[in-house]
Amino acid sequence: MCQASYSLKFDDPADTVYALAASPGGVCFAACGSGLYRSLDGGLSWELLRISQEQLTTAVAVSPDFASDRSVFAAVKGGILRSSDGGDTWFTAAFPAPPPVFSSLVASPEFERDGVLLAGTLEDGVFSSEDRGVHWQPWNFGLFDLHVLCLALSPNWGADETILAGADTGLYRSGNGGRAWRVADFPAELAPVLCLAVFGAGARGGMMLLAGTEDNGLLASQDEGRNWRRLAADSIDSAVNQLQVVEGAAGRGALFALVDGTVLRSLDGGRNWEIALRADGAASAMLVRDDVILMGVQGQGILRKPIDS
Amino acid sequence: MSEEKPFPSRKSYRPGLVFQPSAHQHIGRGIEKLVAAVRPTLGPTPRTVAVSHLDNDKKTPDVLDNGGIIARRVIELSERDEDIGAMLARALICRQHETMGDGSATAAVLLGALYAGGVHYLAAGGNAMRLRHYLERALALALEGLNGQTTRVEGKEALAQVAESICHDRPLARLLGEIFDIIGAYGQLDIRKAHSRELSREYIEGMFWNSGLFSRDMIENRWELQTVYEEPAIVIADFQVNDPRHIMPMLEIAVEEKIEKLLLIAGELSADAIAGLMLANGKLKNFRVMAVRGPGANPDDRQAAIADLAVLTGATPLLKDAGHRLKDIERANFGGARRAWASPHNFGIIAGKGDPRQLRQHVSNLQMQYQRTEDADYRDKVRARIGKLMGGSATLWIGGLSDTEIDRRKALAEATAGAMRAAVKDGVLPGGGMALLNCRSALETKLNGGADADERAAYRILYDALAEPARAIYENAGYEPGEIFARLAHADAGSAFDVINGQLTSERNQLDSAVCQASALRNAVLTAGMALTIDVLVRHKTPDIARSPG
Repeated sequence: MCQASYSLKFDDPADTVYALAASPGGVCFAACGSGLYRSLDGGLSWELLRISQEQLTTAVAVSPDFASDRSVFAAVKGGILRSSDGGDTWFTAAFPAPPPVFSSLVASPEFERDGVLLAGTLEDGVFSSEDRGVHWQPWNFGLFDLHVLCLALSPNWGADETILAGADTGLYRSGNGGRAWRVADFPAELAPVLCLAVFGAGARGGMMLLAGTEDNGLLASQDEGRNWRRLAADSIDSAVNQLQVVEGAAGRGALFALVDGTVLRSLDGGRNWEIALRADGAASAMLVRDDVILMGVQGQGILRKPIDS
Repeated sequence: MSEEKPFPSRKSYRPGLVFQPSAHQHIGRGIEKLVAAVRPTLGPTPRTVAVSHLDNDKKTPDVLDNGGIIARRVIELSERDEDIGAMLARALICRQHETMGDGSATAAVLLGALYAGGVHYLAAGGNAMRLRHYLERALALALEGLNGQTTRVEGKEALAQVAESICHDRPLARLLGEIFDIIGAYGQLDIRKAHSRELSREYIEGMFWNSGLFSRDMIENRWELQTVYEEPAIVIADFQVNDPRHIMPMLEIAVEEKIEKLLLIAGELSADAIAGLMLANGKLKNFRVMAVRGPGANPDDRQAAIADLAVLTGATPLLKDAGHRLKDIERANFGGARRAWASPHNFGIIAGKGDPRQLRQHVSNLQMQYQRTEDADYRDKVRARIGKLMGGSATLWIGGLSDTEIDRRKALAEATAGAMRAAVKDGVLPGGGMALLNCRSALETKLNGGADADERAAYRILYDALAEPARAIYENAGYEPGEIFARLAHADAGSAFDVINGQLTSERNQLDSAVCQASALRNAVLTAGMALTIDVLVRHKTPDIARSPG
């Protein structure tokens, strides 16, 4: 059995990994309390990037076309930085005062064509950029809850421009690229929604949604968010901090969930889960890429483990 | 149509009574004339109607393509007995235009066909009251048929299609499609005249009210004539504050709580109270305060605005009716926002810190009030409140080559926006008269299976009338309706005739607001049923000039 080891160790016990992101080529980024880290070898070794005076980096996103455009984006308090050379040099986009705190940052699956980025914030709703992160504007029509915890884009974004925002009080949905929001049919008593995953979007419907909640485990909807049911209530009964869908061969994908310091894996659409990686502390972020799991552990660092076949 | 003299001498009218069959004939001719006046405007290729000016017949006539506006400009017909029929049709068309913004020509064409069919049957010995009763029954079936075809409309392209089928102005339709895609059915949209030739739009973040700072001395940014506070605390009071000593407890709490920016929304402030606040701005370190007048032109509006502001900001308002005084303020009375701005005429709040659950519930309650009320003014006010609470607003700037064009386009935009709201909220139907045509299948079983002749006749009359809007659209576009109907009869289900491209298509290129079409059909049937039961006309010596339609 493959062993897990820390590829990045924090000096400060209060340090935290807020987000992890990777390019298809294996360049990984970690947004941490102590700054933004980069790994050029799939998470084996890390270097701290000096991107701004503000060290705290709360979100990071990599362009889907990183191999050609080398674009990466990082959120610090009050601004979003962009780099178009893989993280060597950075430019800042300013935001109106008071400075927003970013909770999530996502790039459009059609980023090369549309250059769209969306950023969720803890008090200011959602900001969007349509010019590859140079200018940002708030788009909060209909978003009653501006405490946005997570964002997820439809895999069929190019056709449906659908985006979901998980918030303190429920789930919001936009069918026009985030320009306007409508309250989604999500049971308000099950909020807050900490993380989301969307997959299987066909040309017309068929989109499956997963929502990780703070107190009510994992919920799934197979009808684009109209009806929700609890998944694996016996094995997942605490806060679900992150979800990731990893496409496998022959359409057999795997679901990964970060639950209470443990990465769980499901190979049957979320009905059954097995432990893929367990940390010895509170985990705050995970990333599954190729055959490796990376997990950010509070006060410890980044735990790395090859996935068991 | 017979030639009309514009203003016949009133002396020619003689009092008297008109009985059948003359009464039906006169009413029918009146309806027919008004329907003929608006019929050319139906469809995506409308023809126009030139209307002279009432006060100056030497002025260039207005060239109109909106059935509702044309009908409103027809003040009276010279033949008094026909005028009764014309005014019935006018009332229907104007009401449809004013309440829905669309469907007025459809309603007129339906009324014309229904009344003509009904009179034809009554002349053969039918019973008017029973016919009316069965027409209303048939109406229910047809409305169900419309419901079955209703689909939701989403996306700016589809919304632009709806707008274009209403206003026939592609640039305007594109902008309205984009705007309604963002603001939805309830969002706030201001349509204003621009000083340019172009159409343009802007979106404003947060919500704002049309009432501003009590004193220009509170303006901090002299260039932009406004003051912007980040993370302000907010206090709301609906009464007048006269005594400057009453503001002291509020300022003390602000200092204790290390509040750096404070926005006071009050019913009124005396000059002394304003001076007290300005003194605090000068004396207290790291503290700024500004005060704005509470919004609302009357007590009801003020109360509503205060309720909205309280939910939005999380403040507990101080209310005169509850016996509150500013000097009794507590920490719980303070709300907050991420940003607030105020100018001499407006103030706005961005990202209020109220409980989002309460905000959602509040908006949901307002939406229920909107659905339930019959009062059009109250509906508009409730919709405006919902729009404000949605977190932003849109402004559509209407430009043009002349004031006349701008005014015409602004009126068109306002009417289209009303119909668009209905379309976004209640869905859309296949356009080009197809939805009404498709409804006929719901009536087919009753055509021959009715209990008696009156019932069968009612279903037949409505069945035939439902084809009339499509017929008018084809005629207006220069096609032979019989030929098109024959091609449609042999086409696949869901096919429609695209009068722009002149071919059958299965794509939904044209869409109509479902609620507008249903309203047009319902009002036309009810008006026709009522008109068919009129048996006698009473003619006065000096009839009043037609008033605004009731």
